[in-house]
Amino acid sequence: MPITLKRMWKRLQLRVWRRTADDRDLADEIQFHLAEEERLRIEAGRSVADARHSARRDFGNVARVTEITRSVRGLASLETFVQDLRFAVRLLLRNRVFALFGIVSLALGIGATSAIFSLFDAIVLREIPVREPARLVTLSFAMSANRRNNYMPYPHFAQMRDTNQTLEGLFAWTRTPRISLGFQSGFGGREEIVSSVRASGDYYPTLGLKPALGRLLTRDDDHTGSTAAVISHGYWQRRFGGSPSVIGAGISLNQVPYTIVGVEPRGFVGVNVGVSSDITIPLRAGDRSGAGSKIWDDAFATWIEIMGRLRPGVSLEQAAEDLKLIYGQVNASAARAAPTDTFAARVGREAHLFVEPGAWGGLSGLRAGYERWLQLLLMMLAAVVVLASLNVATLLLSRSEARKDEIATRLAIGAGRSRIVRQLMTESLLIAGISGVLGLLFAWWASHFLLRVALVSSDTLPIDLTPDMRAIAFTTLVSATTSVLFGLLPALRATAGARHSAGRELSGPRRRVLERTLVATQTALSLVLLVFAALFVRSLQNLWMQDPGYDRTNVVVFSVDAGLAGKRGPDASRTYLSLLGALRAIPGATAVSVSAVAPVSTSYYFISSLTKAGTTEFPNDRRLTIAFNSTSPGYFDTLRIPFVAGRDFDLRDGVHSPKVAIVSEKLAARFTGNPVGQLIVGSEGVHEVVGVAKDNRYARIKDAPRDVVYLPMFQSPSIGYAPTFEIRYTGAASDILRSVRDVVASVDPALTVFQATTLEARTRESLSRERLLAMLSTYVGGFAVLLACIGLYGLMTYMVVQRTPELGLRMALGSQPAGIRRIVLKDSVVTVLAGAVAGLCASWLLVRFVRTQLYALEPTDPGAFGAATLLLISIASVAAYLPAWRASRINPVIALRRE
Amino acid sequence: MAKRTRFENRIELVQGTLDMLILRTLQWGPQHGHGIGVAIRASSDDALQIDHGSLYPALHRLEKEGWLDADWKLSENRQRAKYYRLTAAGKKQLAAEQSRWNRIVEVIGRIMKPA
Repeated sequence: MPITLKRMWKRLQLRVWRRTADDRDLADEIQFHLAEEERLRIEAGRSVADARHSARRDFGNVARVTEITRSVRGLASLETFVQDLRFAVRLLLRNRVFALFGIVSLALGIGATSAIFSLFDAIVLREIPVREPARLVTLSFAMSANRRNNYMPYPHFAQMRDTNQTLEGLFAWTRTPRISLGFQSGFGGREEIVSSVRASGDYYPTLGLKPALGRLLTRDDDHTGSTAAVISHGYWQRRFGGSPSVIGAGISLNQVPYTIVGVEPRGFVGVNVGVSSDITIPLRAGDRSGAGSKIWDDAFATWIEIMGRLRPGVSLEQAAEDLKLIYGQVNASAARAAPTDTFAARVGREAHLFVEPGAWGGLSGLRAGYERWLQLLLMMLAAVVVLASLNVATLLLSRSEARKDEIATRLAIGAGRSRIVRQLMTESLLIAGISGVLGLLFAWWASHFLLRVALVSSDTLPIDLTPDMRAIAFTTLVSATTSVLFGLLPALRATAGARHSAGRELSGPRRRVLERTLVATQTALSLVLLVFAALFVRSLQNLWMQDPGYDRTNVVVFSVDAGLAGKRGPDASRTYLSLLGALRAIPGATAVSVSAVAPVSTSYYFISSLTKAGTTEFPNDRRLTIAFNSTSPGYFDTLRIPFVAGRDFDLRDGVHSPKVAIVSEKLAARFTGNPVGQLIVGSEGVHEVVGVAKDNRYARIKDAPRDVVYLPMFQSPSIGYAPTFEIRYTGAASDILRSVRDVVASVDPALTVFQATTLEARTRESLSRERLLAMLSTYVGGFAVLLACIGLYGLMTYMVVQRTPELGLRMALGSQPAGIRRIVLKDSVVTVLAGAVAGLCASWLLVRFVRTQLYALEPTDPGAFGAATLLLISIASVAAYLPAWRASRINPVIALRRE
Repeated sequence: MAKRTRFENRIELVQGTLDMLILRTLQWGPQHGHGIGVAIRASSDDALQIDHGSLYPALHRLEKEGWLDADWKLSENRQRAKYYRLTAAGKKQLAAEQSRWNRIVEVIGRIMKPA
């Protein structure tokens, strides 16, 4: 349409508020015509009355002409839109099956995509709710090319805080996942375990937060004697019911007294996404609780996380330069203070500071772990939405064929093409709108469900999932895009063909290339999704099936922290020992042990280094990194880890006996000869090797077996961590767990049991991300195949209906039913094959991007590809066969009569 | 079936051809709606009776398509009338329609030629 800008502007001016002027013009035009006609007839000799009547009669119905002309003008007023909408609703009601199917499939696609997006938004995109988060920075360091470490030593922090010139404020914090909170007065109830944060004085001021009640911690509170504590808004609501009398309440943390002085503002859930802290105390004051360590002067002990705020006008690069200088200086002076320590020298040489934007908070295990996963899922779901749209488009195309005559007539009367396109688009918009709203509802439910499954261990969701503007905008965008996707094409197609009917060619059997391409695209997309699903499922299977080196069946694990009951050091050790003995008496318990690091653990992972393994030496700047565990006698027996050589620990290995250790097979290989009897030397001291245990996976079943050193738990005089007990049992796990709680209470009523479950359940939990991925991709893939095959079925059925006369003729001329079936099947076979081939090629290209998500599996695993293709072909065959079978049952007489 | 075909044919002929006739008429200068109808009738020596009712939808559609431009002027009788004139795009469209029409006439003519 050759429309100039001027014309468009004129058209714009002719919008609703000038509509009446336009109508008046049209009336004038027609009146002028009638007047002229009248004049001509009078001049030709007719009477005035006769002239007027005949002129009017010959013109036709003035009102009707006015109406038609008005509709030709196609003013997009609200009235016509409402008219279109009403028409669209009537149409949908008449084709209920189609409408239902289209809307539901689209709603599911949009809803699922929105759910994943809101998770993505909440975990990855959303900035922490503090003042001007864009001005925040996080600090981390790395040694050469190694992995980044977000935990840093205190001396560096202190120096940077005091001598920097580019920051408005710098603060440090450390998290204590478990601390025992007791109430001194008023609020009653027994002690409970809460999570806490120790923060330096500038924590709240730098973040720029205002308290919801009372006051927040300041620099003045950051000293050892301070008793000030601040609780989170969520904890305030949960535990105190939002009562204002919480200010000034006396509490105890690990039996050390504090006073609550304030409540954090609503919406702030800490600086690490996905981890909420219930109570915050000053960094220095935490020393009294014993939950941290006194390493204020150690330049190599990494234990605090650091964030800061840039001064106005200062750029990130300037701050980075400033801080890196100070960091380097601290390292250099530490190396000078210990000139013989080659490790310190190495740190001085190789450690680099990183200063990065901190708008999204500090280190977040949740974000790090799930970011890629969410992106992956988002892309898969986008494919599903496209699929669903294509489906609706195909169905709309078929339907628009049926409305061809109606559209042709309307075009003939003079309705503009754009008017009809607009009306057809209104139908698509209606479908997309309804789907969008339904989708949003589904998304709200789904995102909560997903988060709960992903974060199994926490009772409260530390993520705020209320849809913010971004999520709603996203859903709207998706709905609008899909409506354009599936609406525009059929609308244009329908109006194009019927336009210049004078130029229409003789129509033969319509090839329907467009629809078949759409179906082939759907087939290809669904095959890609199926392949991904198959890969994730197999990867999960691999993870679960592989031998972890121990027997995880029939084992119950749980943890106890004597420190929370006020027992420290040697007291704690004695408590655990008596607990061990008491647990052995439980009916059904065949073996009991305790260890620092559980077979599957998210809390502890201990790393150390050796300088000597037997006669093999590891020089100081190239020490052997090992993982270590402290275990009780019977650990290997309980977990059924066989010994390759030597013995397990026993009661001989007490506090005053020679220090012993057990090494893993992998570590044993570094010795020359049998390790038993040889010595290992490292940061933990000198130990004699008394046994070699078979390799097994340390703490995480995804990691390959590594060099591990086992130390006897009760050889050290005091225990500072919360160990895990393992019990191999017969009978029901629930019975054992019940007995466990009774036994623990009998040993010490102040002790709390936590994370009590079977080892299998614990392992499953550790694989929750993989399980979720496998489960979701299977649903997505299955849904995609269903959509594609319904599309195929619909198209084939329609084509059979179109070809009924032709097929009827063939049958009348003697074709066999099998022949008819073959003819119809040929079309679908070509379509499906084309789609399958395209899908396989696309899969082959795309799978390499998920290599990191797969475990012990090549992305181009033939098993996965084969299974996916087989599934697709079989379902597609059913979808294709049904119409073919129906075609072969056509009654030729009826078919021909229709013609 | 037969009845419907007749109806279709009349509409098709009128719509496609009417556009062409209008554009052709305006080649000789701007004119108002009534004048266009009179001119067409005159040039066909009264053989073609245009349904006046379909004239105005056609004119408005052509204006919307951008092939005609319209202004309100005073007619010869000092009456206010809407005058249409051909645009550059309209001239091009006229040429296209003309050649298409000639093609159709030739094709039909070939079929209808005495064997």
